[in-house]
Order: sequence, then C-alpha cells, then structure tokens
Amino acid sequence: MSDLHLNFGVQPNERPGDDDAREARHQVLATLLGAYADGELPPETASQIDAHLLGCARCRREVDLHAVMRECLSREPQVLASSAFRDRIMQEIADTRLPSFTPASEPRAWWQTTRVRAGAALTVMALATTVAVNQWQSAAAHAPPTSSRVDAAGVPLFATILDDYRRVMAGDLPGRARDLDAVRAAVPFPVQPLHGAGLSLLAAWSTDLRGEPAAVLAYRWHDRLVLEYLVAEPLFFRHPGIRGPIAAGQLVSAVRGAQGLLAWAAPQSGAILVGEVAPNELSALRVGDAAR
Amino acid sequence: MTQSALPLEEQHARFQTLVLPHLDRLLRFAQRRTASTGDAEDAVQDTCVKAWLSFEDLRDADKARPWLYRILRSVLSDVSEKSDRRRQLVDITRLEQAHEELIGGDTDVVFSEVAARLDSEMLARALTLIPEDFATAVELHDIDGFKYHEIAEIAGIPIGTVMSRISRGRRLLAGTIIANRRAWGLGTSDAQKPSARTRIGGDRSAQ
Repeated sequence: MSDLHLNFGVQPNERPGDDDAREARHQVLATLLGAYADGELPPETASQIDAHLLGCARCRREVDLHAVMRECLSREPQVLASSAFRDRIMQEIADTRLPSFTPASEPRAWWQTTRVRAGAALTVMALATTVAVNQWQSAAAHAPPTSSRVDAAGVPLFATILDDYRRVMAGDLPGRARDLDAVRAAVPFPVQPLHGAGLSLLAAWSTDLRGEPAAVLAYRWHDRLVLEYLVAEPLFFRHPGIRGPIAAGQLVSAVRGAQGLLAWAAPQSGAILVGEVAPNELSALRVGDAAR
Repeated sequence: MTQSALPLEEQHARFQTLVLPHLDRLLRFAQRRTASTGDAEDAVQDTCVKAWLSFEDLRDADKARPWLYRILRSVLSDVSEKSDRRRQLVDITRLEQAHEELIGGDTDVVFSEVAARLDSEMLARALTLIPEDFATAVELHDIDGFKYHEIAEIAGIPIGTVMSRISRGRRLLAGTIIANRRAWGLGTSDAQKPSARTRIGGDRSAQ
C-alpha cells in the first residue's frame, strides 16, 4: 500500500456543500478505515487519514465502529478440542500412509561389513534359497494386499457412498436379509454376501448410485453395522483414484469423519465397505471376500 | 534433507508439533461454519488428513497456521455446498442503510452499548447473516488474530481486497446488529437518551 497517494482533505475546487465530492471521498476512505483502525496502513497513508479525521466526525465514528466491532469479536470464547478428538486425529494420521514416503534403508547388518562375513552370509542364503522361495511364494499368495489411502471428497463414487451411508444410518434399514434374491435380480452383476467370524447379513436392498444400479448389503459385525456397496465395473473403475491402486494390486481406503471405507475389485463389480470402523480393521472383512 | 526423507516417526513428531497446537482454533473456525460440533470435528479431521498427505508442501514452519486454515476453508467449502448456513442472508441494502444511519448521525443508538450486550451466540448469528467472504475476512482478523497479509494468503486474494472485505464486513455486521437489536432483546437507548446524538462510542460529539 506504499503507492497509495490520496488526498482526503477538502479539494481546492470543492465548494462547501458539494455533497457528491465529499461522498465520493468517503467511499474511497470507507475501504481504508478498517485497515487504519487495525494499524495495517503504511505511515504516510495513516497520516493522511489522521488529518482527515480531525475535520470529519462521520469518519471518526466509522473508525470507532471498527474498534468496537473488533473488540467485540476478540472476546469470542476459546474452543478446546477434547483429548479424545486429538487422539482420534493422531490415530488417523498414523493410519494414513504418505504417498511419497519410502521407508529409510535398514541399518547395515554386521555381516554386511566385511567381505568374509558377506561371503559366509551369501553361502547361508544360497543354501536357504530353495526353501525360502517356496515359503515366500506361499506367503505372498495369502498376504493381505496393502491399501492406498485416497481423499474421499476427491473420488465422486466414494463421496456419494459416504453420503448414502449417512442417510441410511439415520433411519431404519431399507431392506431385509430375505430380500437378497430380489436384489440379485435388480443388478447386472453377482451379489454374494461376505462370510467371516462375527459377521451376519441383516438386510439387502438395491439402490441407485450416480445413475447406476447398486446393491447394498448390511452386516452386523460383532456389535457394529457395516454396509457393503456393490457397483458395476464401469462405475467402479471410472475414477483414476480407484483404478490406479487396484491395478497395482492394492485395496483403496478413505476416511471421512468417523467413517472408514475400503474398496476392492469383485467379480464383474466393485465392492466398497463402509462403517464406523478404521479401514485397516475393515480389511479383516475383505478376507471374507475369498469365501464368496 | 527433504521432509519425505525423514523417518516416518520424525515426520509424525513434526506434524504433531506443527499442527496439533492449532486444533482449538481450527475447531472454533469450523464450528462457526457447520451445523454441529460433530460436523466441525469431521471437517478438522479431514483437514488434518489432507495436511498430512501434503505435508511436504509446508516449507516454512512459521506458516503452518495460515496453511492449515487454507486447507480447512477448502474442506468447509465442500461442506457448505450441502449446508444451509447462509440461506437466510439478510438484504444487504437494509444492513448498509442501518450502518449509514449509525455513521451519519441519524440515530440515537449508542452502538458501543448495544455491542457490549452481545453474547457469543448473537455474534455467531450476526456473522451468518452477512456474506461469507466478508464474514471470513473479519473473523480471520478479529477472532483468529491473522494479519492482513496472512488473510490474503489464506483466502488467495490481494491485500487490497482483504482491506475492503474487512471494512465492509464490519460495517455490515454493525448494520446487522442494529437492525436486529430489538429482536435479539438488546433493547434500544433511543427512548432513554432522546438528546444523545452520539452513535458509536458514546463519548464523541456531533460535527
């Protein structure tokens, strides 16, 4: 604002009673008086306003108004975030993997420090290779895939599902478990309930998500309610935020508020689990997908 | 060393140090823009997750607070599309007229006395009755304590726009308070001070 060169005094050609000129000057001043009251103007501009205020009660009142409003608002009481909320956030951060993070290299082991020891280690490793490869292949086939966290608001399908989840949870479940056959008939892909410990199907219904038919299965999982949305492949793979991680063999997870979401590719469809559960917990149910 | 090169534990610790101290203020800002404490907490939590995911973007630790507010505003703009916080905007012309009467000396209301009777709920209500851009600029300065250049950074606007928004925002707020003073039970000093021509602070004489 240092380039501000304004003359707020009475102009030489201004006649007393020239209301239009005075009003125009006040309009310019009006945008500056708040900054003047807040001490945010450069000194030369502030000095000009000082001079103007000496002869202008209206602008003095305006400056006073700014000071009163500011003082009034500054009394707004503090809000304290609860410790439970702080814990919830830190847990959320701990569960959210940084996309750019690559774990630091492991410290070099003792046997890596000398050629002799390295040679011995290689010999041991070579002997163990046959057994180890077999074990690794077996383990890899059963290891749970990692999940890639995405921003729920940035994936329209997830945002729609989370909105639908909140709507459903606010009322009675719209279907019953025995409606499963009717749901199967309503959607163009297979609908098989998940199986798992503590998991039971409570209700099933069909719905419409982003203009496409979808099946919704409601499960009781111990004492929690979890919804599984099944959507057609074209809708599931529409967004790069989903198809990218799926192509990389990962699950896709998201969080909005207290709701966790976990998605994976199912036969001719995509499955999206939603509940008041962290996504890493939901992945335990994903194991049940193998059983269907 | 880039941030992503730090061990994860150190990144967590840095995040905790730079972000958690601002949670209270973020929550208060969000509460004024959401229907419930739960919604405000959700917005702040989303903000923290977004901040964590883009933690590398924070080059200057001193700018953590405006950076967080910028993210929170983005989160809240998604929420506000679904909320009706500002569906009851009052006619701006009416508010400006009330302000003009106050400033022009056409009323006997002592504004500082009316303002002194305002409680937090009334102030929050008044802030919802003026346009969001003006309310945000005023709140960021007067409640959250940001300087003008920081507000420009948070809102992504030139500093001249910050000046005009704060000036006009406070004027509209004053107009809102005056226009609603009877409805809000703030009374009026018109009848009690028929000869008083003081309008703002109660101690200045007329021109």
